[in-house]
Amino acid sequence: MTIDGQYTAIGKYLPRVDGVAKVTGAAKYAADINMPRMLYCDVVRSPYPHAKILKIDTKEAEKLPGVKNVITGDYYAKRGGLYLADKNFLAHETAKYRGEAVVAVCAETPEIAHEACKLVKIDYEELPAVLSPMDALKPDAPLVHPELETYRVAPIFHPVPGTNISHKHFLKKGDTDAAFKKCDKIVEHEYYVPHVQHCPIETHTATVKFDQSGNLTVWASCQSPYAVRNALSDSFDIPLHKIHIISEFVGGGFGAKAGTTIEGIIIPLAQLNVGRPVKFTYTREEEFRDAYVRQGMLAKIKTGVDKTGKILAVENNFYWDGGAYNEYGVNIAKAAGFASAGPYNIDNITTNSYCLYTNHPVGGPYRGFGMCEIHFCIEQNLDVVANEIGISPIEIRRINGLRPGDKTGMGEVMKVSGYQPCLETVLDKLKYDPTPKKVSEHKIRCMGVAAGWKSPSQPTDAGSASIIRMNEDGTFYVHTSAEEIGQGSNTALTQIAAEVLNVNPNRITLKSGDTNMNPYEWQTVASRTTYCAGNAVKLAAEDLRKKIFDLAQMKLGYPARDMYLERDDEHDCTWVVASKYHRDMKVDMKTFALGMPLDDGSGIGGPAIGIGTFTLPNNMAYNPADSQSEKGVAFWTIGCTGVEIEIDTQTGHVKVLQMISCFDPGKVINTELYAAQVEGAMIQSLGTALYEAMILKDGKLMNGSFLDYKIPTAYEMPDVLESYVVEFPEETGPFGARGIGEPAMVPGAPAIANAIANALGVRFNQMPITPDMVLEAINNKKN
Amino acid sequence: MREFEYVAPKTVKEALNLLATYKEKATILAGGTDVVVRLRDEIIDPEFIIDIKHIDELNGIKFDKKEGLFVGANATMHEIQNDKNVKEFYPFYADACGHVGSKQVRNKATSVGNLCTASPLGDSLTPMYCLDATVVIEGPKGKREAPVREFITFVRKTVLERDELVLGVKFPYVECKGIYTKNARRHEVDLSNIVATILKVGDEYRIAYGSVAPTPIRLVKTEEFLKGKKIDDKVIEEAKKILTTEISPISDLRATKEYRVSVSQSILENSLKALG
Repeated sequence: MTIDGQYTAIGKYLPRVDGVAKVTGAAKYAADINMPRMLYCDVVRSPYPHAKILKIDTKEAEKLPGVKNVITGDYYAKRGGLYLADKNFLAHETAKYRGEAVVAVCAETPEIAHEACKLVKIDYEELPAVLSPMDALKPDAPLVHPELETYRVAPIFHPVPGTNISHKHFLKKGDTDAAFKKCDKIVEHEYYVPHVQHCPIETHTATVKFDQSGNLTVWASCQSPYAVRNALSDSFDIPLHKIHIISEFVGGGFGAKAGTTIEGIIIPLAQLNVGRPVKFTYTREEEFRDAYVRQGMLAKIKTGVDKTGKILAVENNFYWDGGAYNEYGVNIAKAAGFASAGPYNIDNITTNSYCLYTNHPVGGPYRGFGMCEIHFCIEQNLDVVANEIGISPIEIRRINGLRPGDKTGMGEVMKVSGYQPCLETVLDKLKYDPTPKKVSEHKIRCMGVAAGWKSPSQPTDAGSASIIRMNEDGTFYVHTSAEEIGQGSNTALTQIAAEVLNVNPNRITLKSGDTNMNPYEWQTVASRTTYCAGNAVKLAAEDLRKKIFDLAQMKLGYPARDMYLERDDEHDCTWVVASKYHRDMKVDMKTFALGMPLDDGSGIGGPAIGIGTFTLPNNMAYNPADSQSEKGVAFWTIGCTGVEIEIDTQTGHVKVLQMISCFDPGKVINTELYAAQVEGAMIQSLGTALYEAMILKDGKLMNGSFLDYKIPTAYEMPDVLESYVVEFPEETGPFGARGIGEPAMVPGAPAIANAIANALGVRFNQMPITPDMVLEAINNKKN
Repeated sequence: MREFEYVAPKTVKEALNLLATYKEKATILAGGTDVVVRLRDEIIDPEFIIDIKHIDELNGIKFDKKEGLFVGANATMHEIQNDKNVKEFYPFYADACGHVGSKQVRNKATSVGNLCTASPLGDSLTPMYCLDATVVIEGPKGKREAPVREFITFVRKTVLERDELVLGVKFPYVECKGIYTKNARRHEVDLSNIVATILKVGDEYRIAYGSVAPTPIRLVKTEEFLKGKKIDDKVIEEAKKILTTEISPISDLRATKEYRVSVSQSILENSLKALG
């Protein structure tokens, strides 16, 4: 910031600091890791959704020349997991979904490993399977985890032993029973959201190596190196200082690479082959089924209003299809539970959010972390209620959308809320008109809007750290373990450091993705990086600045109190200036890089290093009895999306013509990266609204490749794709910033669903809304 | 994927010798956009891959009004789509080839390969059916020709013997107007859930659909009904009814049976209205 209070780096466009390496192909991703004497892993997968493993015969596979080892779940049977220790890296005793890894082979080439897998003979006894969340809840349902009561679990989660419930989240605010009695209209609907895939361009991949001293190095495509380190230490009883995670570039995460998936399969193989790296890379087909998937969800939602449109009460029941292992999925059910009211001022709320074991692929984090799914229901039900009481979907949002001073579903008072200005901005930019328009014989156009919110679902004490080192020439290293997964964190964090130190960002190199080199970061998830890691970087820069000023007061003979930094791009330096009254009294900041030389030849201070550590103050755990908390989450990011669609009434195709969003990220750090996040999120929501679903039949994934799992292409981009911003600063955010990457995806799908309903007068309670469904509705109406 | 031997003959004669030697152990490769996928998925497991791309005799697209159009086995979708004569005299075929897969796929894939794959939804096949194209085949006993409607016998089945090679496809020259329509879940890079070519030749119509039966088909009853008729709403409604008696689509991942019937009717209606 200049002495006149102008930002020099924040709120501007800085080209991606990792851009050149990525577009020239110089960036080395985990999949690019190739080393001498490398070994390769492949796995044998269960062909049944639920089966007891009776016998495994690995003899023939072991005999194949080039095969080093063949291991089964018995070889390393310790259970692990992030929040609930329910998972073995290889199936142990039972296989719980169709595709689960049962046997792992290590060989000299990937081809030999693949051939050896075919030689493994496994006898199974098929068990009855649980194939939907409602089936999971039936009293006589087969149990996916009969030993649930013995599993270690984080205290905030509540599995119910003897059932398929891995977590039941309960939220209660006010008195819904009494409030529903006062309602003039109550609308109750069921909605279903299927499993979807993240589809990162780089599939999951990892290479691991043990050296002779017992040090483990892991090159992984992962979002959270420290969480991986912790999980592997816990699972394999290796001390943390012996584990080194390297993840410099990641080819897309979207949540799928938040935990550990494949590292644990190859660590036992690497232990058997000390000194030799072992690599495992998922095929695209494995990526679809055997990495995390976005959980399916069935929602029953009941909304009660008075005749003015004020929402008096809401009752939600969410049933999450968590799949075979819920070690991560339980946290999604929790996030959905505490956010279940949506961004609305509602006094009476009851929510039950169940995470359920099924014999389906394993659910895990996906951009939005439950919010896209629940808002598909919340935002459609709101439109339905409005229509039934004869007010517009906009009016009901104007009446109920959170304003400053309102209380959230968790009982927290909103100090700021951008809901209303975001809504009005979108309506204005879209020139909102919900009347269907017939633009040609077979084409109808119509508009729809939806809002949404999201907060990070993180431990209340999740920590971030940063170290900044000044070099002798006044350039800097910023060390952080925020992971650059394409979202632009390396660039945003560079801007934050540059702003505090008032240096040209090109004088900063950001270092991340290496646990031996860079300090702790809980995880790169939850749209928390700009906020949490950003705060750590800001604190480190401030610490460094303070140390420089402490030395500069001796050099300049003025007190540190009034000093400031002045960026001078012309001279390619930054000045430490005594005060605004003594602007000539200045010294190049680099003078202090190694401390300060004194006149007698000695020195003082030592090399300049700033340290920043951040934990959100006063972020308090909610009361498990009702999920109420004065400050239960770090922040809420709120926004709104509006769309115009065109329906082809002959083919049922829906083309999105305009998609416009406005969000309140508190303070935009990088203008272009903000737009890129919001635009990307809108397209991802468009994909889920119209195209994407994992089709599971008897536990078998029927469309596990891009042949039959379609995501939007350039052609499907709306002609108008725009992002706007309102900025109400977050009190504890760096420069007022809060997260945007996930929240921006939340309202897109329900906005499209609402537009389709406005166009046809038919409500679709399930996504994706495919051409068959649309055409059937049109033809039914005609007849 | 098992190891295989790759051979790249330079002449048709050489290729036929290799086919005669290896027979069922060999798979012919042209563009490779189907073969390579099937190799990777281990659906096929050949010992020999005979790559015909280096046989110059199989290249090219030839046209004159007397002989019609000849599309060589190595002509890519991209070449056909952009060929001057195809664009002028067979624009619906140019359209069809331009709608296969992605640009990258069209740069490699061939229309003859599309024919030999014999998928019911082959994007470039309905123009061949409409024009009663002839498949030119060579084997150890010399050349023979097969009408396209007899060449494909079922899903992924043709009359081609294991020691034979398709040299190309002959399209007669017919004065006509035609419309090609592809419907898929997504506009680009997707498989057809309905594909159709409809031609008007004099006062007759020729109608071919894909993805509605085990092979692409001609709708002969609908054609018969429309012969000599002036197109109006009543005729279109009747034609749409007859159409439903001729197609037998299935429900699968890509569309329901009802959807396919409805879209097939709309395509017929739109095409007839446009052709007059």
